[in-house]
Amino acid sequence: MAKKMVLFSVIGTIVAMIFMASSILFPHPLLLVLAMSIGQGIAIFALALYLLAVALDLQSSGGVYIPAEESPAIEEPPPAEGTGPPAT
Amino acid sequence: MFSIHSTEQLLKAIALASAVLSVLVCLWYIVRRPHLNRVTKSMLLLGLGAFPLIVSLTGNIASFEYTLSRPFCGSCHVMGPYLRDAEDPKSNSLAAMHSRNHKFGETSCYTCHADYQMFGAITTKQNGMKHLFKYLTEYASTGPDGEGGPTIHLYKPFQSGACMQCHSATAKKWVETHGDSAEAIRSGEMNCIDCHNEVHPLALSRRPKLTKGGVQ
Repeated sequence: MAKKMVLFSVIGTIVAMIFMASSILFPHPLLLVLAMSIGQGIAIFALALYLLAVALDLQSSGGVYIPAEESPAIEEPPPAEGTGPPAT
Repeated sequence: MFSIHSTEQLLKAIALASAVLSVLVCLWYIVRRPHLNRVTKSMLLLGLGAFPLIVSLTGNIASFEYTLSRPFCGSCHVMGPYLRDAEDPKSNSLAAMHSRNHKFGETSCYTCHADYQMFGAITTKQNGMKHLFKYLTEYASTGPDGEGGPTIHLYKPFQSGACMQCHSATAKKWVETHGDSAEAIRSGEMNCIDCHNEVHPLALSRRPKLTKGGVQ
């Protein structure tokens, strides 16, 4: 559910950015009004949707931190020496 | 090549760069579909929050600055005659003479027609929205210069205060020149354009033989 919401917000942001960028490149009155109203509205809605998705994600995981190793796409660097558990 | 010569262009460049970065983050998420871990959430917060906010702020300021310029006012076709006259170096109309002023010539439409009172910028922008609505509903399918559309007129009578932003109504020479009318002009009983009325000579309303259906 959260991932779908994030996907929708990402797509919404792309649409909003296209609106806003086109109004900067081609500043016609109608395009400016559309960018300043619809474009910004979509961007705000997308951000709100993303924040809601993050909140839902945190709620479903009970606030537990999901380590990066579970992610197949992103690899985090190994921990620096001396930060691991103490040797027995 | 894109070069930056003014604050407006700098703001536009920042806005465009931020928009590109935001879209790149979004595309990265769509293509890679990473797990929602801390890194992904931070990246998305940049792409969906920080960069769009920068685009919005800088883009709004740059766009607002552009809306003050004469090319923006002339970008609707019904303004064609007004724009052509204002940009004509040989014209002696008030609009043309003021447009040649190097201090504010590039924003001559806004300088003379904006409300000059407190919150004038806001009320002027509200009127701009009204212009756009009327343009779309009444002038969209009119002739090249707006022929066939309703006559363009000001929403309220032109106020001499707009002229007096620059032209002093207390200067000795002005008082001598305007004689008995001086007090009437200052109080608003008389308007500058009652006498100085060669403002927009190419306006459709000033052209002869104009009918509702077009030019005869």
